[in-house]
Amino acid sequence: MTMQTLLDMLMQPFVWLGELLAPVAQWLETALGGIPASFSGMDAAYENFYISMVRYACPILAALLLLRCAMPLLTFRREPEIWAWLVMPGGERVPVTHWENVIGRSKSCDVSIALSTVSRNHAVLTRYDDGSWTITDANSKDGTYVNGERVNICALQDGDVISVGGVKLKLKVITRQQEQLQSQLRTRASGPIAGFFNLLLLTVFQVLTMMGFAVHDAVENSVMVLEGFGGIILAQWLLYVFYLVIHRSSFEMETLAFFLCSLGMAAIATVAPKESLKQLIAMLVGVFVYLLVGWSLRNLERAKRVRYLAVAAGLGFLLLTLAIGTEYYGAKNWIIVGGMSLQPSELSKVCFVFAGASTMDRIMNKRNLIAFIVYSVLICGCLAIMNDFGTALIFFCSFLIIAYLRSGSMGTVALAITALGIAGILALRVAPHALNRFATWRHVWDDPFNKGYQQAQALMCIASGGLFGVGPGKGWLRKVFAADSDIVFATISEEWGLLLAMMAVLCLCAFGFFAIRTARVARSSFYSIGACTAAGVLLIQTILNVLGTVDILPFTGVTLPFVSNGGTSMVASWGLLAFVKAADTRQNASFAVKLSRKVRQK
Amino acid sequence: MNRVTKRTWLMGLFLGILLGGCGLFFFEYLTKGPTWVISPGSPHVYNNGNLGCGTVVDRWGNTLLDLTEGRKYAADAQTRKSTLHWVGDRRGSISAGAVAKYASAMAGYDLVNGVYNSNGLGGVEQLTLSARVQNAALSGMLGRKGTVAVYNYKTGEILCAVTSPTYDPDNVPDIEGDTTGAYTGVYLNRFLQSSYPPGSIYKIVTCAAALDCIPDIESRTFTCNGKYAYGKEAITCESAHGSCDIKRALAVSCNCAFAQIAELVGRKNMQKYVSQFQITERLSFDGVTTSAGKYDISDTGAASFAWSCIGQHTDLVNPCRFMTFMGQIAGGGVAAEPYLVAQVQSGGETTYRAQTSYTDRIMSEALANKMKNYLRNNVEVTYGSWKFPGLTVCGKSGTAELGENQISNAMFAGFCTDEKYPLAFVCVVENGGYGAATCIPILSTVLSECKAVLDSE
Repeated sequence: MTMQTLLDMLMQPFVWLGELLAPVAQWLETALGGIPASFSGMDAAYENFYISMVRYACPILAALLLLRCAMPLLTFRREPEIWAWLVMPGGERVPVTHWENVIGRSKSCDVSIALSTVSRNHAVLTRYDDGSWTITDANSKDGTYVNGERVNICALQDGDVISVGGVKLKLKVITRQQEQLQSQLRTRASGPIAGFFNLLLLTVFQVLTMMGFAVHDAVENSVMVLEGFGGIILAQWLLYVFYLVIHRSSFEMETLAFFLCSLGMAAIATVAPKESLKQLIAMLVGVFVYLLVGWSLRNLERAKRVRYLAVAAGLGFLLLTLAIGTEYYGAKNWIIVGGMSLQPSELSKVCFVFAGASTMDRIMNKRNLIAFIVYSVLICGCLAIMNDFGTALIFFCSFLIIAYLRSGSMGTVALAITALGIAGILALRVAPHALNRFATWRHVWDDPFNKGYQQAQALMCIASGGLFGVGPGKGWLRKVFAADSDIVFATISEEWGLLLAMMAVLCLCAFGFFAIRTARVARSSFYSIGACTAAGVLLIQTILNVLGTVDILPFTGVTLPFVSNGGTSMVASWGLLAFVKAADTRQNASFAVKLSRKVRQK
Repeated sequence: MNRVTKRTWLMGLFLGILLGGCGLFFFEYLTKGPTWVISPGSPHVYNNGNLGCGTVVDRWGNTLLDLTEGRKYAADAQTRKSTLHWVGDRRGSISAGAVAKYASAMAGYDLVNGVYNSNGLGGVEQLTLSARVQNAALSGMLGRKGTVAVYNYKTGEILCAVTSPTYDPDNVPDIEGDTTGAYTGVYLNRFLQSSYPPGSIYKIVTCAAALDCIPDIESRTFTCNGKYAYGKEAITCESAHGSCDIKRALAVSCNCAFAQIAELVGRKNMQKYVSQFQITERLSFDGVTTSAGKYDISDTGAASFAWSCIGQHTDLVNPCRFMTFMGQIAGGGVAAEPYLVAQVQSGGETTYRAQTSYTDRIMSEALANKMKNYLRNNVEVTYGSWKFPGLTVCGKSGTAELGENQISNAMFAGFCTDEKYPLAFVCVVENGGYGAATCIPILSTVLSECKAVLDSE
């Protein structure tokens, strides 16, 4: 109870903030009220005319947007950055293309030396944010020597000679001029002008969508919808201007995320218009968290320190939920604070990605891996007690991704799978409703009025909507439970068409594709593991949500990132996106990547 | 780093699952979408099991139900009441299956546009019913329970099928709280879902059987002194009819004579003809199926068998089925099967148009003609042909006894033989008393309304 009081106290400033903003909202409502009021007298024929135009215009705009924003993410040139050279005894120069480089006999090493005296994974050569270098011995058989002295971990200077298994490698670090030249020659992410046009397209899309509701809905609902969409539009332009100020040009990922948020707002507008303001606030908090996580990732040293905090917070959130959580629909994963309901397990996902991401020198350390497995099992235990099957599944999959990306051998993965498999069976045993979901899988039409109700309704409504939808506010799925969260894909498909709903899925795929492509040129494994896991979580949630809704996979009731109505889920989605953004090493692309020195001077 | 990089293929697996799954779903959407849309409970098409889109009109285009903005019924209360059982109520208590059957044709579904159509109105479903006749028929019922129905036995169109009691869906009375019994079975479409003891209209069945299986039946005479005894039990008439042949026995509805005729026909033949005339079988049209009738003479004594041949004992017939039987006699042994929905138009196209289908032949044309002659004789001799001006009506009344302290059900079934007015009909008034006295005034009005409707088309 004391914990609850403490939390309430912590949330008090937000409640006050809400009270402070109330008159502003009041004023906005009066000011905006005029717009829908001027439509409300509109003839039904005009409404139908408007909708008949918009239902084609919206997918076209969305397709353009997707093409313009996703294509650069999928097709950018992957130019490796060179940070130093290792000069071989024969004078041959081996480029060092990452911040973390494994030297060893194994072919998968970044610097592979095919000599039997060299251990499979011999040492890790690491560059730091400030341009300093170290070498860490990775428990090699014969040891690592710097300038003739055997070392475990040692700072390096330009010109130092590293000796592994008798092979002498001279470190030749690139000069400042070379570094500047390199960063200037890198392919630019699409510039501010392209970003401007993309955002303009998105804004037109949002305005058309918003007006669709304005011409259809009652005035009071329309005001709330206008506030919701207006807030998104304002937020995206402010962020764009902020990027211009800090000399960052790439806005593709953000544009896609705002597009997804707009679709979510469209679902809320039809299902629960009263919640549009709440969702907008959640999105603003999400963008703030995005910037915060991105900022902490910008400096690798800082990121490594924040990681400990995140690890503690991740477990803390879950333990807190277990202590003072409320049970809804069989899963104890909600905390009610100051009148708001939060789902801390969503935030734990972001923390888990932090916990999983790691630099190569640590990955090579077995103790580190065991610590991570223990941590994962703890998390899994919490989730099993919470009885939240969907979230447990997402954690399990993200654990698999991290374990596979990190581990040296498949054996470790196998062990982990077994351990978590047992935990999974346990979870299934304690959660009969999870088994029920498996029972209805591919059998929703056997019982369309009871067990298969949500999905059967979803399929009927998707089909009723066709490729272009029945129009805003004209859907029926809104009457079905969780129409704006668990089955939000169907709600959007019904009112805006299957094409638009599929484009939302493609947006999320673009994040995943980008994470794969950018991994090759990532500076640190911390970033590539972080980006892949974060994108993986987004993808898995999309898989479970979308394919669960349409009965291709069992229905697990997880949220669709950025789209589903749910504050914590929204915040978590933005938090995860920050990891993907941090792996974007295109020139001046990402706020989560430091500018090269010269550009900064400009 | 290389190692981590190479392992990012795992993400490709997730992408593959997502895109592959979406592809699979899209395939299902293309192949199964049309079925999903019209599945029971599909919210764009149905509303509480009843039709949930478009507009329903009568044969003259009068709106009976407008679903474009909520659920709006006809403008006048009488039409709302008289057609309620065909278009359904708001809560889904009345199941209006025939109208809902064409929901998918109404929705105008296609794979690209779903159920969206540019005018946003849905289709128009035209019924064969005439609101005008419906209203006249409901008025004629004077609030009594029962049903009146008329159909065109050449085309199958149901012009009138009214059920009483009914209520105004825009002014719903307190049905659950009613203690007077005025709303007992109000949600039933009695034309489809009820089966009644037929009483003397069943003599048509026995008479046709006798004419078919006893060669010299017309030359025989039967004597009625008001009572025909079987040991302790007896078949009775209200008055002694004296000596009469089968034609007169039918006209005066002599129970004693028909008891003797039943003996001549015999149990086996009776069962054979009930089966051949399909009297007890269910009838299906427009996705709805009527209740079954009943003819059970197993373990019956001689008296009970005799009663079974004059429409008492445990006999039951469904009004729709019996009306069709009348149509079959009128049509010379074969008739059009009744139907309710004439056509559906959606998005400027006719998405459904009813086609006349015919019943099995249940009797020879000669027998049918003889029955026509007999039933016409009934009207001329007993009921008075002047009660149906301008129409050549053939028919038979029935007064179905229900047991002690209960007023009998009034029944009447028949048809018109006029080339211009091929109408078969049935009328049931529960606890209505004498068949002819109660039903003929109702039918007189209803048939003349039907005649007016056909004249105007």
